[in-house]
Amino acid sequence: MKRLALFFAFSLAALATAWAQPAAFAEKPALVTAIGQSADFEMVKVLLTRGKIPFTAEPLVKAQGLTPAAKTLVLVAGGSSKGLGAAGISIEAESERAKALLARAKELKMKIITVHLGGSARRGPLSDGFIQQCLAASDYAIVVAEGDGDGLFSKTAAERKFELTKVDKISLVGAPLTAAFK
Amino acid sequence: MKRLFAFTLCFTALIGLSNAQSPVNLYGRNAQGNVGVVAAAKPEASQVGVDILKKGGNAVDAAIATAFALGVLEPNASGVGGGGFMAIKLANMNEAVIIDFRESAPAAAKADMYAIGADGKVVNAANVVGGLAVGVPGEVAGLLYGLDKYGSKKLTRAQIIQPAIDWAKKGIPVTVNLSKIITDELVKINKFPAGAKIYTKDGLPYEIGDSIKNPDLAATLELIARQGKDGFYKGDIAGKMVAAVKDAGGILSAADLATYEPKIRKPITGTYRGYTIFSTPPASSGGAHVIQILNILENFDVAKLGDGTPAALHLWGEAMKLAFADRAKYMADTDFVKVPLTGLTHKAYAMSLAASIDPDKPMPSVQAGDPGRFESGSTTSLSVMDKNGNMVAITKSINYFFGSGVVVPGTGIIMNNHMDDFVPKAGSANSIEPGKRPLSSMSPTLVLDPNGKPFMTIGSPGATRIIGAVAGVISNVVDHKMPIQQAVMAPRFFRMQAGDYNLEGRVSINTRNALEKMGHKVMVRGDWDAFFGGVHAVTYDARTKTLSGGADPRRDGQAAAY
Repeated sequence: MKRLALFFAFSLAALATAWAQPAAFAEKPALVTAIGQSADFEMVKVLLTRGKIPFTAEPLVKAQGLTPAAKTLVLVAGGSSKGLGAAGISIEAESERAKALLARAKELKMKIITVHLGGSARRGPLSDGFIQQCLAASDYAIVVAEGDGDGLFSKTAAERKFELTKVDKISLVGAPLTAAFK
Repeated sequence: MKRLFAFTLCFTALIGLSNAQSPVNLYGRNAQGNVGVVAAAKPEASQVGVDILKKGGNAVDAAIATAFALGVLEPNASGVGGGGFMAIKLANMNEAVIIDFRESAPAAAKADMYAIGADGKVVNAANVVGGLAVGVPGEVAGLLYGLDKYGSKKLTRAQIIQPAIDWAKKGIPVTVNLSKIITDELVKINKFPAGAKIYTKDGLPYEIGDSIKNPDLAATLELIARQGKDGFYKGDIAGKMVAAVKDAGGILSAADLATYEPKIRKPITGTYRGYTIFSTPPASSGGAHVIQILNILENFDVAKLGDGTPAALHLWGEAMKLAFADRAKYMADTDFVKVPLTGLTHKAYAMSLAASIDPDKPMPSVQAGDPGRFESGSTTSLSVMDKNGNMVAITKSINYFFGSGVVVPGTGIIMNNHMDDFVPKAGSANSIEPGKRPLSSMSPTLVLDPNGKPFMTIGSPGATRIIGAVAGVISNVVDHKMPIQQAVMAPRFFRMQAGDYNLEGRVSINTRNALEKMGHKVMVRGDWDAFFGGVHAVTYDARTKTLSGGADPRRDGQAAAY
């Protein structure tokens, strides 16, 4: 009986971690950008539109393009060599853009939300550097669980003490993303 | 407590496994049979072809049923809104025939129809996305011509098209491959509401395990089954296509559709170490350059150089460099431009090119135009052979994944963007002219053994990489005696006359290092990279009377046999 109770306690704790959802904390409107220029950017636009969150979408916005008009920065994390190529930007230049952008967002006291939709296909050497940059600055992150197979998101969230919501499917990202906004 | 820990560990491991990225499944892609074999980019499509053979159809019936089914099952790559080429050799024919059902430029098209920006590119990518990117589709005319002329006549047109209709109604499985393609193309798909309605869930991509139904496409195919070519090129469907393309800024007219005809061409013919090769002539450059590359290789002992060695890949790289330099300079639609096909495929010319190859270092790049821009990799190819010695290879396409993005409301048809395969300004052999067919690399190819008996049907998607993929797999079988599946799976490599030498990730690190040391600028791509095409081929072993199908794990390829 004791073992069973322990098991349920463990399971509940695991579930609580996986589906952690902070109280609404992010101000509107949002500015969405792609860190790594993946096609997942388009999906986050669809999810925000569905959630009726006012936003502007600028995949290549630079630090100087951030103004106090946008209150929350939504980062679509994950690298795409095709996307970077189409944008005519190198990995190094994209990383520099992200670094400056995040520093400026902090100066402006913007809330930062990282979204990772691509699962394990959007992990690996190209994506992981961008993901780590995003998580290092985030106030909250949402990840499709399959993308956290090695615990990168969970570990970083625990270390940096921000909430992480894990969902099973891309279509389930919309609810926690919308709920994060006041 | 120990048990609980163990249970938790197992539970976590199981979740991890179920969530792991689907690896490329390398097993069971091939199939062997004695009656007939079909190799195509979707297992369900190959099975359609085999079912037609079981009903008494010949290889042509099976290939055309498979082709219609692929248009439904692999909608990102080909379909009735596109075009292609079909190579047929029935057992009683001395020579193969090529049915060219490539799209043609609309009558209102002009060499300067696209605005060119300061960066030299077409403004707003109008030759890629939207109505101006659409050429007159040829698939329905080509496939039905092939069926009428070379089919067994034992099965009706309706029986041939019915499996495609069934899949459109039942819904196609969303594989890892298809899910990723839809995600990557979401911006284009969402731009056109009729396409977004079919291929997304309220704007988001379908996910792995979902199925996608297309009842409008089923109805279109039913009309084609009942009325034949006229059901597509005239009347209601044609009117809807013209309206949708016009709404998207295009110039397709009812007259363009009503007057479209496939062209029946003599194949480009060559030999490689005694094997006869029939391949695709212009408007495809593919056949000529497959034969040209093999002709160059014939001057070397490729088998002795070894499989995947630095010396072998150096030779391949140089041969491709030479062939692509000629492609850029000479190739276009022969109905509009004189192309020196005899010279390009001549053994003596190949010998002179071979003499220019230094075995120790790469020759400087030959700058000639920019053919790398021709065609995307989102084509499809299928191969069929039957026990009677009938051989068919079809390569067909809507060009980029999901073509121009223009989906004709109420019909389920995705319109091609093959206008992108023209040079978008005047002055090139491949500039736009009304009715002209844009340059292609599609290379459906048939190979006879040194006794003149059926040996191999082969083709691939992959834009310009088609040429290297088809030549490479033929060489793997002829020079290295590989079974067809091994030949398809072997690491690939590709280069053009300038730029990097692209190696698949599985090419040996020693070979890569040696190539770099020789002076090649190497780019290493994925281990199983769809960049290098998706070869589907069937071979016949005359000794054992066995047909073997090889299918490509770089796509969702699967052979089926009977």
